[in-house]
Formats: sequence, structure tokens, C-alpha cells
Amino acid sequence: MNPLLRSAMIPMNTLCFQRNFAACSRALVPVQLPSRSETHLWYVVPDEVKSASLLGQYSKILSPCEKEYISCVRGERLKKTALLARVLVRTTIARYQTNGQVDPSSLKFRKNIHGKPELEWDENDHGSPPPIHFNISHTASLIACGVTVNSPIGIDLEEKDRKIKNNIVSFARRYFTAHEVEMLSSIPDPETQRQHFIKLWTLKEAYVKALGKGFSALPFSTFTIRSRNSSRNCQSRDLSDSSSSDAEIVVESVDGSSSLMNSWQFTLLELAGTHFAAICVESDGSIGGRVFTPRKVTARKTIPFVEDEFHPGTDAVVLGGL
Amino acid sequence: MASVTGTSVRLSSVSCNLKQTQVTGAGISGSASAFFPVNGRSFPSLKSRRFQISCAAKPETVKKVCEIVKKQLALPDDSAVTGESKFAALGADSLDTVEIVMGLEEEFGISVEEESAQSITTVQEAADMIEKLKQKAA
Repeated sequence: MNPLLRSAMIPMNTLCFQRNFAACSRALVPVQLPSRSETHLWYVVPDEVKSASLLGQYSKILSPCEKEYISCVRGERLKKTALLARVLVRTTIARYQTNGQVDPSSLKFRKNIHGKPELEWDENDHGSPPPIHFNISHTASLIACGVTVNSPIGIDLEEKDRKIKNNIVSFARRYFTAHEVEMLSSIPDPETQRQHFIKLWTLKEAYVKALGKGFSALPFSTFTIRSRNSSRNCQSRDLSDSSSSDAEIVVESVDGSSSLMNSWQFTLLELAGTHFAAICVESDGSIGGRVFTPRKVTARKTIPFVEDEFHPGTDAVVLGGL
Repeated sequence: MASVTGTSVRLSSVSCNLKQTQVTGAGISGSASAFFPVNGRSFPSLKSRRFQISCAAKPETVKKVCEIVKKQLALPDDSAVTGESKFAALGADSLDTVEIVMGLEEEFGISVEEESAQSITTVQEAADMIEKLKQKAA
């Protein structure tokens, strides 16, 4: 048995819960909450989760509502992704154990008015709620859950190779801002342009998700996301120098009402070698005049209840600037 | 990224579909005589005149929308996509939905408000919206 569990007070129902996972080599490894300036990113590669009995065990920790949703999803691959996404959320939050051992299946969720999932917590049953904020995103080949403390978070993933069916500049003219159209139009190489488009899309999605609003409540044409370079010309189009540590990704309102926008911090990364991931977090730093400090992101790959891997420097590579 | 939501496609997270957005006019059929489920809720058919503004979409419109959806999501031709199919359940994320809407705009010569674009979640909703916009343009 995991030594951490041995030393903890283990209620009977938790022990029984662990015993059901015969396919697993160990329990959920508990972790400390991220610090206020850190984001945790947990991810699952669906193709690596093959065991039918493990997937069957995973189904058991879902709520009836979640099971019903998955039954509406068409196709085995999509059903599996939907299942793993819910399992990732539940098991990730359960790891943080701020109120002792938490059974992932006991967590309750609700949606805000725009549909963003949030943790629902009954203080009478479980004491004060953990200060956890989370957001999830998935593609066909990757599922990720970002976790912060005390800061609303939005994340978005896209496959690096994702092909856009429409003409990129036409798309941008229709849905993005003039500044972004100009930036995209200025990229001569179609492949670089496509990648820049994907990165921009993930950043914009992460922003509206962090706000808890979603696309229809906050159309993408109302805000610009771009790189701001503290030491060079802001209009620099030297996209080949994407590793510049001076580059900061910022959001600006198109109508000039930008007073609240300095409080959003963006991180753009390459995840698992296959995806672009954008994270947007509300920082509690002072507005204006602050020194740009990139936010620390700790990424861990997981197969819940089976194994966790942490490969700093290779799992998640931060891309400085857009 | 899909990254949903109970499946509001825009948030890509997976959980029970209890969307709180308003029901669009497209969801209420003035001419069909059957129940017409929208977002899990059913609206009995109403032959009252005030619902004649939005008509149930023509079958050929629904068929065309299905084709565009299948193409965007790279689904095989024989895959079961019908009026009731939810984009998110077919694997569409928010970017797919926007691309589908763009494809519909080009195909039907219409222009969709962004606010409406992301609130379309099924093939039928898309088809009904197209009919409504075509009528307005006519």
C-alpha cells in the first residue's frame, strides 16, 4: 500500500473504494495545491488507456448525469474521451485532499450561467471548500485539466497539425479583430500562418473560458490577443524568435476599455509534443507598472489510479510570445 | 478543444447538458405536428399564427447541413447524422462549430450573428436558423 495512505487516517469506505481497483497498481497520489503563482496541468493521452476493465472502473466514479451524457455521445472513441475527461477532472481535484481523503465520485459539480463547470461544495458536510479553480479541454488525442488556487482559469488545447477547412484570413476577417487579421496576413508561409492561427485560437478560447463566459457571450472580435515585447518594437513581426523571454502575451479590448485586462496572464505551450495549449489565469498582481514574470506551469501526465509521470522540460515546453 | 461542457461546445467540458441559454425561435415549429426536442426539452406543436415566423427547415436544408457537418468533422458518408444530432456529441469542438457556421454561410449565402453562431448545438437548429435568415433576406 502507498506509504502516504498508511500514515493517514483512512476511513473504511475509502479502503473499500481502493480495493475495487484491482487493475491499478496504486491509489491516487496526493499532491500539494499549487502556489498562488503556479498552475498545475494534468493530462491524459486517451490512446494510452487501453484496459477495458480500467475503463469500466472509471465509469463507476461518474455521476448519473455524466453517465447519461456519455450515453448520448456517438462512437466508442468519443465516448472514451468523454469518460476520461470527467475522470480526469474528478481524480485531479480529489488529489488535492485539502479536507482529508476525498472520494472522486463524491465530488459535485454545477455550471455557471454560461455553462462553465465549477465545483459545488457543501460546507456542512465537508468543511470549508478548497480554493481550487479548474478548467478542462480536450481534443481527440489529449485531455487536460488545469488547476489553480484562488484564480479563475481557462485552458484550451488544439492539435498542432489541425487543418483549417476555411481560408485562414477569411476566417480571421469574419471572427477576429483587425489587428489579428493584419498579423496573420503578414505571415508569408502558409504553414507558419496556420500554426499562428491555432495558437491565437487557443489563447482566445482560454481567455473566454477563464472569464467563464464562452464564445457567444464574448465574441472573439471584441478583443485582441497579441505579443508585447518589453524591450523591442511592439509591432515586431519577427515570429521566428518565438522563444524571446521578453515577450508577454496580452489581451486588449477593441473598444479601448482595457483597464481590467492587465490582470490576465497567458501561457502558451507545446504539450506532449503534439498539441498547443493555452492557459489564461487571472493574476492578483497590481495593474500597470508591474514586472512581467512568467507564470510557472507544472505539467504531469497521468493515467488515474495507475501511474503519474512528470518530465520537466519535455512534457510541456513554454512558447514565449505568440 | 472541444472543451465543453455539458456540452456547450464552446467550453469543451463534458457534463450533463443543462444549458441555460434561451431557446431560439428556431426551436419552435409552427408547421410540424410532432414533438420537437430542443436541448432535451420538448415543445408540443403549436399551430397558432404567431409561431409561423420560424418554419421547420426543409428536408433538403437539413440534408445539406448534415453534409457540411460530416465534411467538417471528417465523418464517413454513411455515418448517422440527422436533424437531432448534437454537434458536440459528434465530436465537434468550438472551432469546428465556427467552421461549420462559416461553411453554412457560404453555402446558403447568409450571415450569422456571432451570438447565434455559438448557440447552435444541433443540425436542426442550424437548418432552422438558415431558413429564418433566408426568409429575412427574401
